[in-house]
This record gives sequence, C-alpha cells and structure tokens, in this order.
Amino acid sequence: MAEEEKKKKSVDQATVEMIEKASSDGCSIVFERAETLKPCPIGAVGSCCSNCAMGPCRVPLPKGREETPEEKAKRRGICGATAETIAARNFVRMIASGAAAHGDHGRKVAEVFLAAAKGEAPGYQVKDEQKLLQLALELGISIADRSNEEIAVDIGELAQQEFGRQEGELLFLRRAPLKRQELWRKLGVAPRGVDREVVETMHRTHMGVDQDYKNLLHQGVRTALSDGWGGSMIATELQDILFGTPSPVFSQINLGVLKEDQVNLLIHGHEPQLAEMIAVVAQDPEMVKYAKSKGSNGINLVGMCCTANEILMRHGIPIGGNFLQQELAIVTGAVEAIVVDVQCIMQGLVEVARCYHTKVITTDDKARIQGATHITFDEYNAIESAKSIIRAAIDNFTNRTKSIRIPQYKTGLIAGFSHETINYLLGGLFRASYRPLNDNIINGRIRGVAGVVGCNNVRVTHDDGHLAMVRELIKNDVLVLQTGCSAMASAKAGLMVPEAAVQYAGEGLASVCEAVGIPPVLHMGACIDNSRILIAATAMVKDGGLGDDISDLPAAGAAPEWMSEKAISIGQYFVASGVFTVFGVTWPTLGSKEVTDHLFRDMEDMYGGMWAFEPDPVKAAHMMIEHIDKKRKALGIDKARERVLYDMAMRRELE
Amino acid sequence: MEYKIKKVSAPNRDEVELLGATFEEGNPEGEDAGRWRQKLDTRMEKLKYLENGERYWYGKDWFGSEKRKTPA
Repeated sequence: MAEEEKKKKSVDQATVEMIEKASSDGCSIVFERAETLKPCPIGAVGSCCSNCAMGPCRVPLPKGREETPEEKAKRRGICGATAETIAARNFVRMIASGAAAHGDHGRKVAEVFLAAAKGEAPGYQVKDEQKLLQLALELGISIADRSNEEIAVDIGELAQQEFGRQEGELLFLRRAPLKRQELWRKLGVAPRGVDREVVETMHRTHMGVDQDYKNLLHQGVRTALSDGWGGSMIATELQDILFGTPSPVFSQINLGVLKEDQVNLLIHGHEPQLAEMIAVVAQDPEMVKYAKSKGSNGINLVGMCCTANEILMRHGIPIGGNFLQQELAIVTGAVEAIVVDVQCIMQGLVEVARCYHTKVITTDDKARIQGATHITFDEYNAIESAKSIIRAAIDNFTNRTKSIRIPQYKTGLIAGFSHETINYLLGGLFRASYRPLNDNIINGRIRGVAGVVGCNNVRVTHDDGHLAMVRELIKNDVLVLQTGCSAMASAKAGLMVPEAAVQYAGEGLASVCEAVGIPPVLHMGACIDNSRILIAATAMVKDGGLGDDISDLPAAGAAPEWMSEKAISIGQYFVASGVFTVFGVTWPTLGSKEVTDHLFRDMEDMYGGMWAFEPDPVKAAHMMIEHIDKKRKALGIDKARERVLYDMAMRRELE
Repeated sequence: MEYKIKKVSAPNRDEVELLGATFEEGNPEGEDAGRWRQKLDTRMEKLKYLENGERYWYGKDWFGSEKRKTPA
C-alpha cells in the first residue's frame, strides 16, 4: 500500500500501523471494504424510496445541472410521492431509528434501576444519593425520611412511564429554558411519550400516510426532542444515580493501552450496566488468580466506543480507540475477547476475529451476531454473568498465536466533565456557578462554546475531521465540549489535558483554562450524554447575561465524521433546542432542494437553530465561529467596552 | 506547597512579581483523584447544595435570565 494512500485512511498512527498489519495478515477490515464497496449516490442524498414493494423507486436529480420544471414534475415514485416526500420520509426515519436506539437504551437502564431499587438486581445500588435527591426534587417525589431505595422505586416507575406516556409532555422538558419550553408548545413539538413519537413517525412514513414534507419534518423534530430531552436524558440521569455522576479522572487512550502479558478484555458498545459489572468483577482476586493460572500477568480491561466513555468517566479504565478502531484492536493479535452489547458493533468483527484467536462475545439477546459466542448478560444475576464472560476471555489466553503486535501509541487524557462537575469547578463547593464562564464569554476571553460530537466515518480520513475542526475552534478561543468517538479523537491527539490550552488554544481561552485548571476541550461522556450538553447550555442561559434562550447563546454544534442514524436524531434535537449544527461527510436530503432549504433555512426562523452541511472541517469550524460572532453581536458583546467607574452623582443621574 | 513567583515587566512600572501556576506537578493517580461529590456527607448537605449550587433548577427564587413573575 502506498504511503500516501495509508495516510488518507487515518491521521492516527496506531490505526495506520494496524491497517498495514491487517493487510499483511490477509485480514479484511472496514478500510479495505470501503475501497471496493462505494456508497450508492442516489440513496446517499435521500432520493430512493423502498417503503413498499412497488419500488424501490429512485428519483435522482439530474447530474451537474439544474433540473427543469418538467423534470421536477416527473421526479416521483410509482405512487406519486414527490422527491420532497421521499427525502423527508427517509430523513425522519433516520431520526426515529436514532431516537429508538437511545430510547431503548434508556428503557433498559430504567428497568435495571427499578430492579436495583427493589433489591432484585444484586450488584447494582444507588451510588450517587445527590443525583437521586435531585431527580426526586425535579419529579415531585417525596424525600422526607424515606430511604434511598424507596425514593428510587418512585423515580424508576415514573421514568418507565415516560416511554409509554400517551398525553401531555415529557417531564424533563421542564429543565429547558422557559422561553424554549413556550416555543415548543407554541409550535406543537413538545413530545409526548418517547415510544409514541417513534411509533407515530414510523406510521407517518408508511406508504400512503403523511405526504407533506414540512409536516413530516415537524414530526421529526418532535421525535428528536423525545430523544434528547427524553430517552437520552433518562438514561444519563439514571446511570449517574446507579454508577456515579462523572468527576474528573485521568486515564490513557489508544491501542497502546493493550498489554502483551495480560488477558486483554475489550468491552464495546453502549450500555454501561454490563461494563460496570465487568469492571468490578475483573478486579476480583479469584478472577485475577484464574488469569494467572493460564500464564498471564492479570486482566487488562479496555474500553471501545461509547461503553469505553462510560467506564472511563467513572473508573478511569483506559480506552482502546473509537469506532473505526474496533476491528484493529483484534488485528493486534493480543485481544482474548471483545465483549459487545448494542449499537455501532460491526458484523465484520467476527470475520476479523477468525484471522486471530479473539472471541467475539455478544451479551444482549436483542443483538446477536452470527458466528459469535453468545453469553446472555443477566442483570438480575449480574455478577455471575460477568464472571462467565471474563472466564471465557481468560480461557482464550492460551490460544494466542505468534502474530502479536501492539502499536506503542497511547495518550493521557482527563475525562468526566459532567454538567455538575463543570458547575463545581467553575464556582466551588459553596457557590457552584456558571458565572465565570458567562463572564469570560461576555468579556471576550472566550468567544463562545461549541459541541463537537459524533462518530467516525470510513468515507473520510479517520479522526481528521474532528481534529482539524477542534483545533481551529480552540485556536479561535472557542471552548469545545465533546462526547462519543469525537471526544476520543481529540483525546488521542493530546487535546484533553490542561497543558493543551497553552499549546493549542487562543490566548483568551488558554488564560481561562489555566485559571480554572481545565483542558480547552472537555470530555462530557458517551453519545447518550449529549443530553449533558443540553443541560450545560441551559445552565448558561439561566445564569444570565447571555440572553434568555439557548438560541441566544454564542454557541454551535457539529458532527464532522457522522455516520449513524443516532447522529441525525442528536443533530435534530440540538437544532430544535436552538443550536446551529453543521454536519460533515455527506447530507441525506440533498436530493430535494425544498427539504434541504427547510432544514437549513426555515428552521432558523422557527427554532433559532438550523442545520448546515460542510464536508471541509476547517470551513465548517469557520461557519460555527461566524454564527458565534453573529450571536455575540446580537447580545451586544461583540466589542470591548470601556469600563467606567460610576460615582454617586453619576448613579443618581441614571435614576 | 511552595508558590512559584515569576517577574514580568509592567507598563509604567519596573518588574512586578506574578504568582505562577498553583497546580501540583505530575498526573493524578487512581479513580478517586478528582472525585468531589463525597465532600457532601449528609442528606441535608446534599439538599442544601442542590438548592444553592444547582439553583438554576432547584433554587427557591427565580434566578438569572428567568427572573419573571409569570411562570411559563
């Protein structure tokens, strides 16, 4: 493989090394498959409808020129559905799928939470009483002298009801700025139950139902909000109660965290209840002794993808890598087992594992993979389930082949910046506050705030989009909040330590980071934890001085390497919450100008936030900065003002 | 800890002393290093913290940008 060709695949050296090893080992991986299988250009822009058996109907735009009115009139499916209807239906189906994924994650957490509260799930318990009390206050649940378990039962039952709520609106909407709540009600997008919105979207996009693209996109907004302020937020909050609200923690990231002399157990997926239990049981002396009896020096637990973020933030467990590195971890030849649950798990893992000795272990009955070993993780018997999984990994240690090469790249990072921790770090225990952040935005040291989130996408250079964008933002004094695989890209590049502020950030941002002792890029968790960014934005609004809605903030969002349907749902709930949001790689409604214009322009008038598409990450960063500057101007904080010390006479004149 | 003082020149003045970084050198160790929520011990302390620290939602008075008399 030519040197130039390898570089195009990733900016991460460990990744480049392992791509090369996979090639020399004759092992097919995603980077190779992407060369032979090109994306369908019609499907990529939302111009293909496969919602009934009369199709699939393809209604592509003419290539390289504007279409004529006659051509446009002919661009219809066999049922007469216009290109607008088709593009909008495809788009809102992506939202529904993404919201369903987050919602089902939230539901599972609520089930385990309730079982733990009732004492039916040994191993799980209330770890963060403060978060428990917080939710009780919020949900109107009596605290008095009741035990944590009694309060938790009420919270768990209420949380479960949120999924099947048929009327009214989701309880967590009350957390949003008051003006935003009013806007949602006025526009009719305040979601009812999480499940109800997803089901209604699937109904509306069935053949012959909703065929007005604006009406479809309206329901898409309501569904996405049921994710961000519903399913995702429920998951994050209940996880915090069960496993602890994240606090700053130091760890390391990249494939170099694998250890040649130990049993390497990779845990990959999204739901932390499995990973948390494995993290606990892996330290059990009985398990360590068993690992040593097989000739290893212990058990090395390593995270991958968003599960990694969960156990990193709460236990400091190192991360092997992000989405596009899942197969490459196996290619090292040093991984005994990759244990997976749900979401973002490539079926290709099984084929890659056949080249080495690695066992792929599926654990969730709703996510099996043909050819993998399935060991059901039973939350009601979690410790024994975790032990079985770990034993299977240990037993595989003796099957290692000679083809082991662990790339020697790993970087330090600090994670765990939950909203609660940011509030505490900025103001201290006795007056936790967002005031210092708002003051420094007002005085211009910090230009604004950006959320850079999302996946990896093999159609662009791995990690390059995230890094180019984040570096450009912090250089221009924009504080960056990150989650998911995007956060991992920055961590690998050394942007998530306090020292990075002086090295990479603009002078103003660096001075604030140095004073507070934080990195210029804050790791806020897994993709489900984007709800933490919504809460942080709301706290900024409520603290005052930056307008009275999220759409007034000098803030923007981005997903430069997005690939999953969850990303579309996340982006849509940020837009509907008032945030300008730019995506890279590709845009799934380009097949319809009307639909794209509605998302990119009309939504700004409706929600104060809108979508944008820009594949060049640096140009996208400048679009975000431009938007931030527009908001600064609207707030009247775009120019430094002369400070005047008022004496009594001047004050009297004011009155 | 011993404070680090650095000297810098200031406009219209000679050199002035500035307090340097006050954080400890090296990397923190162990998952407990950055934990702060344990500082709050009793339920009463936790509730008071919520009312004060998380006043945006749990304070008894209207706060910041939302000082309004009519609830939404």
